[in-house]
This record gives sequence, C-alpha cells and structure tokens, in this order.
Amino acid sequence: MSGLIQQLNNTGLPQEFMLKAIFYIIAASTVFFAIRMVISPNVFHGAIFLALALIGIACIYLYLDAEFLAVIQILIYVGAIVTLFIFAIMLTASIQDRTIKQTNEQVLLSAIVAFVFLCFFVTIIRRNPWQAAASKAEGLALAQLGRLLMSAYVLPFEVISLILLAALVGAIVIGKARK
Amino acid sequence: MIPQSHFLILSAILFCIGLFGALTRRNAVGILMSIELILNAANINFITFNKFLGSSDGLGQVFAMLVIAIAGASAVVGLALIIAIYKNAKTIFADKINLMKW
Amino acid sequence: MVKYSYLIPLFPFAAFVINILFGRRIKKLSALVAILASAISFFLSLAAFIGYLGGNGSYTVVRWLDFNAASLNFGVTIDPLTCMMLLVVSSVGTLIQVYSIGYMSHDLRFSRFFAYMALFMCSMLGLVLADNFIMLYIFWEGVGLCSYLLISFWFERASAAKAGMKAFITTRIGDTGLFIGILMLFSAAGTLNFKALEHSSGNQALFTIAAFLILCGAVGKSAQFPLHVWLPDAMEGPTPVSALIHAATMVVAGVYLVARTFWLFAMHQPSLIWVAYIGAGTALFAASIATVNNDIKRILAYSTISQVGLMLLGLGVGGYSAGAFHLMTHAFFKALLFLCAGSVIHAVGTQDIQKMGGLLPKLKVTGATFIIAGLAIAGVPPLSGFWSKDEILSEALNNGHPVLFAIGLMTSLLTAFYIFRLIFLVLFGKPRSELHPHESPATMTIPLSILAFFSIIAGFVGSPFMNHAFQNFMVFPQESYIPHAAGAVHLVMAFSTLAAFSGIGLAYSFYMLNNKILAYSVRSKFLFLYRIIYNKYYIDEIYEILFINPCIRLSRLSFKFDLGVIDAGVNAVAQVTVIIGKIKSWFDKYIIDGAVNGLAKTVRLSSGLLRRVQTGLVQNYLLIAFFGLLILIIIKFIKAG
Repeated sequence: MSGLIQQLNNTGLPQEFMLKAIFYIIAASTVFFAIRMVISPNVFHGAIFLALALIGIACIYLYLDAEFLAVIQILIYVGAIVTLFIFAIMLTASIQDRTIKQTNEQVLLSAIVAFVFLCFFVTIIRRNPWQAAASKAEGLALAQLGRLLMSAYVLPFEVISLILLAALVGAIVIGKARK
Repeated sequence: MIPQSHFLILSAILFCIGLFGALTRRNAVGILMSIELILNAANINFITFNKFLGSSDGLGQVFAMLVIAIAGASAVVGLALIIAIYKNAKTIFADKINLMKW
Repeated sequence: MVKYSYLIPLFPFAAFVINILFGRRIKKLSALVAILASAISFFLSLAAFIGYLGGNGSYTVVRWLDFNAASLNFGVTIDPLTCMMLLVVSSVGTLIQVYSIGYMSHDLRFSRFFAYMALFMCSMLGLVLADNFIMLYIFWEGVGLCSYLLISFWFERASAAKAGMKAFITTRIGDTGLFIGILMLFSAAGTLNFKALEHSSGNQALFTIAAFLILCGAVGKSAQFPLHVWLPDAMEGPTPVSALIHAATMVVAGVYLVARTFWLFAMHQPSLIWVAYIGAGTALFAASIATVNNDIKRILAYSTISQVGLMLLGLGVGGYSAGAFHLMTHAFFKALLFLCAGSVIHAVGTQDIQKMGGLLPKLKVTGATFIIAGLAIAGVPPLSGFWSKDEILSEALNNGHPVLFAIGLMTSLLTAFYIFRLIFLVLFGKPRSELHPHESPATMTIPLSILAFFSIIAGFVGSPFMNHAFQNFMVFPQESYIPHAAGAVHLVMAFSTLAAFSGIGLAYSFYMLNNKILAYSVRSKFLFLYRIIYNKYYIDEIYEILFINPCIRLSRLSFKFDLGVIDAGVNAVAQVTVIIGKIKSWFDKYIIDGAVNGLAKTVRLSSGLLRRVQTGLVQNYLLIAFFGLLILIIIKFIKAG
C-alpha cells in the first residue's frame, strides 16, 4: 500500500482522503453486492453477485496489507469456487423459471434475527476501545509467509492437505452414479 | 487511516447478510453461497486483527488461507451432495426436501 | 339264637344294596340274590323261634340317641307275636319272590323289582322285630316307601303313578296320626320302649288319646274305612306286589301294631271297642263292594280290606290270639289267591272277569289251587280259614258282642259268595271271549302248590286237634288262654259253616244255573242299589270334592302367592342389583375411563402439537438455533447491563 501511496503522493491529490473514500466506496459496494446476492430471484445472478462481492473483499484485503491473500482470494475463491458454483447451478437447471420463489416463509423472522445480531455486534464493536498497535507491522512478504507455513504452521498445512484429499474422495464418491 | 472498528463493522454486516441468506434462500446452492459469504466475513476479521494487533507471526493471514482452503473443500462436498440429491429428489429447493419431517 | 335275630332284616338289606348297585350287570341273578336273602331270613327266623321256645328274648342292639331323661335305642324283641310274624313274612315273601321270577321274566327292570322286594322284606322284618316305637316308625315308613315304589313300578302308565301317589298320601294321613300318638306317649311316659311303656304310668288321658291316634295309623296302613281308598287302586302294581304287600304282609302291619300295643288299648276300653267297630264296619262294607266288582284283582283287594277288618274285629273284642291266628291263615290263602289271579292274568292277558270263563280245563294247577284258596277263605272246614274265622266269631259272641258277631257272620256269608262268584265266573262255564290260555311255568306253579298246602294245614295248629297250641302260644302276657265252653264253640262252628255253605250255594245258583238269569234279575230289581255298590258307594268322588279339590286350590293359591309376592320380591332385589351394576358401569366407563382416556388424549394432543417442530427443513432448525442464541445473548446483555 505504501508504494501506491507514494505514487499518489506524486499526483498531488490529498491521498489520505482519497484512500479513505475509495475504501468506503468499495465497502459499500461489497455490501450492496452481498445484499443483491441473497435477494436475487435468479440464482445465476446471485452467483455473479457473489463473485463481485468477493472481489470487493479482495480489495479490502489490500487495505489490510495482505496482498498475497488478496490475490489468493481472487484466484481461488472467485476463480475456482464461484466457477464451481456456476457449474452446480447449470447442472441443477433451475434458472429458467422466474416465477419460482427464491426465498422461503421465514424471511421476516430471519431478518429480525440478523438485524438484532447486527445491532449486537455493532454495539460491542463500538463499545470496545480499540487501541492502535504500538508498532505497525509491516506487511508480510511472500517468502516469509512460505517459510512460516513450512515451519511454524506445518501441522495445519498437512491437515489441510488431508482435508482436501478427503473432500476430493468424498465428492467423487457422492457424485458417482449408482448402479 | 481507517480505524479498526470500521473493518470489524464491515465484517459484521457481511456476516449478518450471509446469515440472512442462509436462513431464507430456498435454493440449496444459494444457501451454500451465503455460507461462503459468512466465511469471508470471518476472514476479514482475521486479517484485520492480524494487522492491528502488531504481532509478527502472521497468524491471521495463515489462518485466513486455511479458511479459504477449507471453504473450498466444503463447497466441493456440499455441491456434490446437492447434485446427488438433485438426481434423487429432482429438486434443489431446501423446503421441498423434508423426508426427515414428522 | 335270639341274640343274632337282628341279622334277619340285614340279609334282605344287603340283597337290596347289591341289586340296586349291580342290578344292571347281574340281571337275572338278582332274583337269586333276593330269594337267597329271604330264605336265609326264613331260616334265621326259624332259629329265633326255636330259640324263643327255649328261653325268652328281648335284646337291645344299639344305643342311638340319649336325652337327659330318656334314651332311644335300636333293639329287637322276640315274643310270640314277633315269631309268628317273622315266620309268615319270610316264608310267604320267599315263595312270592320265586313266583316273581316267572311273572316278571319279561320285564326290563327285573333286577330293580327284586331290589325293591328285598328292601320291603328288610323293612317288614325290621318292623316286626322293633322293640320301641321309633324303630317301628322308621320301618313303618320304610314299608310305605316300598309300597309306593312297587305300586308305581310300571310308572310309564299314568294310572300306576297316580295310584302310587294315592297310596302314599292316604297312608300318610294315618302315619301322621301315628306319629302324634308316639309323641304323646313319649311326653307322657318318657320312654318309647314297648316293655317299658307297658309298665309305666303317666297321664291316662294322654294315653287314651295316643291309643286313638295309633288306631289312626293302623287304619291308614291297613286300608280300613275311611282310609281304604288306596288299596283297590294299588292293584295297578304287578301281581306279586299285590300278593306280598297288599295281602299278606303290609296291610296287616296295622293289625300287628294294634296287637303290639294291645295293652294300651286294653287299658282304655273305649279305644278297643272302636277298633272292633271300625273293623266290623269295614269288613261288611268292603265285602259288599266285592260282590259286584268285575276286576279280579280289585275283588281280591276288597276281600283283603274285609278280612283285615275281621282281624281288627277279633282284636277289638279282646281276642288277641284270634286276630293273630286269622292274620297267619289269611296270609297264606290271600297270597295264594293273588298269585292264582296273577297266573290267570298271565294266561289270558286281561283282568276283566266278564271276559273270562271255562279256564279250569286249561289251567289245571292254577285252577285247583284257586279253588283250595277259595274254600279256605270261605271258611269251609277243615281248611285253615274255618278255624281262624271261627275263633274270631266265638270271641265276639262269648265276650258279649252279639251285634258284632252278627256282622261277622254276615261278612263270612258275603265272603263265600263273592269268592265263589269269582271262581265260577273265571274257571267254569263257557269262555266269554277269545282266550288262548296257557298254564304258567314251574316257577309260578310250585309256590302256588306250596301255599295251597299251607292254606289247608295252617289252621290245625289252632284247632282242638292240637289242643289249641297256637292260642296257648300266642297269649297275651299275664294271661292264659281259656278255651270257651264246648256248647258255645259248637254253636259258632255250626253257624259259620252254615254261612260258608250258603254263600257257596248262592253263588252257584246265581252264576252257574240257568245262564246267570238269577243274577241278572236280582240286579235289575235292585238297580239303584247295584249302581251305588258298583261305584264303591261313591267314596272316591266324595273325597275328591271334600278334600282333594280344596287342597289343589289351596296349593294353586300358594303357588300364585309364591310367584307373585316372593318371587317378585326376589326379582325386585335382583333388579336393584342390576341397576346398581349399571350405575357402576356408567361410572367406570365415563369417569374413570374418561380420566384415563383424557390423560391419553392430552398426551396425544400435546405431542401432536410438539411434533410439528420437526419440519424436516434444515433452515428452520438453523433459525431456531440462532434464535436461541439470540435470546441467550439478550439475557446476557441485560444482565451485564
């Protein structure tokens, strides 16, 4: 982020303000896309909106000095998982009919529940005095991240590979045609 | 420049939207997509704390990576299940699949 | 031997038990059992007789009941009267049972007949052996029972069943009197033993009344007027039954009773003379009916009533031994008469003498013995009947009862008349209908011959030829027999012989000469009288109106009362119970079951509501989970302030 800031410094615009504004715009659009996703009657559109929301989240990762994760997010999440979702949607072939209701009867109750949760979360967040860190940590370099993954966090790494293997096998088994 | 609480509030908003979607979408795939959204909200939380707590072990980011991997795995299995159920019950609407009802 | 005389009734009783229990299996052998038992009883009686001649005998066997003041025991007494009765009953009984083998051979209930006969023998022998009133009464009822059983032996016939009932009820009336008399004696004297009573003193008025009541019992059992109506109807039973029970033995039980309690009657003269009056009146009355009856057995039944009347007449005028003498001879020739009648009925199949006639050539043995018996009963010397009847008549005349003597004489004339009427109409003349007579088998004719023999010679023991051995034997205690003056004796003998022969002559002229024209003319002249006598003086009809109909009406009324009031009461109680039961069932059904069912329904309803929570939809579950979480959070929030 600092390089960009330097570049922006050269343009002469009030960079802090610009960054802040962009952040809020991105955040608002992410929220907007998310809402569109859960409401859209056409589930295919929902998938597209999901992709957009995920891209927005990736941009937010950039603000948090997690560049590698932003890229990973876009590559994996948007590139693979949302594609998978679209595959599934195509396979299940229910996008043609517009008249089918996409939300069930408990809309009101779940809206209330979600809203109350939101209020609760916001209240707690606002109440807490967040102090900024004494030393701002530098963003983690990729090499460092790799090294950490192989030394300090090797156990989760291996477990993740096992989980992926299990998921693979499971998906094949479940998807197999019964004789 | 952007205070920590804003990130957290964003994460909370996304979480609640995802929750709402998980509770109301009829399409099973839609439910899964909402769950992905919830997972991403949690990810934002991790990254935020990773940056603002100032520790140098990068635990937040690593954890976020692991969450992405697991989210992928769960999406895979879930979708496989949905397709299998679609083959059997000929429908993917969650409120039609109620064999376990009274 | 006297000591063992209690065995005498026990052998026939054993025969009864065997025949009743095993009769169906042994069938014809039952006759042998019964006859064997009777024969043993006869020999035991003979032994007891001989034993008595040697010494004296009255022996108590068993203590039965003990009251404070008195005790009632079973005991036997052997005295002259008992000896004679034992010998007569057992001998005649045995002969009649032999006869029954032939007579009842075709009957299906052969063994039961002999069982009843054995029971009768037991009861009769026990009756004469009794040494106290209670034992006597027990066996008295026993003979009554056997009489009923045997009269209605062929109970498929309504007439036989009715006759049995009539006999039982009529004798019951007499028996009730007897029982009350016994009770009176017990209350007056405190004991019921004959010997003890004889020597007791007590309320004399009670004794007199008791004597009359005992006479009541005798009248009932011996078929004297006015309780004679059952004997003619009792002829519905088989002929051996009529011979044994209603001729030779049971009907004389009344005479035996009077003789046994002779001291009681002798002490109270009015009672004794009443015995004589009743006897004489009945004798004449019954003889008159017998002269116009047309049924063999009924003629003989009325003859029995008449002869028993004569016996009572003999006792009543003070002739203790005379009455007993006639009892013995009568047993022989009356039994013989009945058995001959049975033989005739067996031969021709009918009892109506108007259908018979000219049977003598075909039924030789039967006919001959019939005539002998007829001569005996008519009182033709030197047969037995002459001697005994003569004794009675001379006692009557010589003890100062000329009227009774005249009545007795008249009766003898009528007796000779009707018995030879019977003989002439049955055995002589031309057959009046289609008959195919055949002589009876040996089992029937041999007893006839034996009885005929006794009918001839039995009288000699009481005749002057044997120095009145019988009378000397049969003395009333503390007395001795005084023979009457020779002149008086010969007078009476002449009169009675004259009566006998005139009776026979009259019968001959009425029924043998000129085709019975004399009989018909006399009848037409006295048609009204004939009708009355033919219908037995309408006694049965009078009884029907006076006693039987009111009794039936009373019993019907009682029945209605029982049905309407008592049964209604019981039914009402039952109804109440039913109603209570219904209330209880309602209660049980609606309240108790309602509570239980209500509980079940509540559970069902609530669970029915509760199960709807499981919708099977995952999102519902999820919502519920988050909702719960929400509530927890809110609570925590509020608590934390």
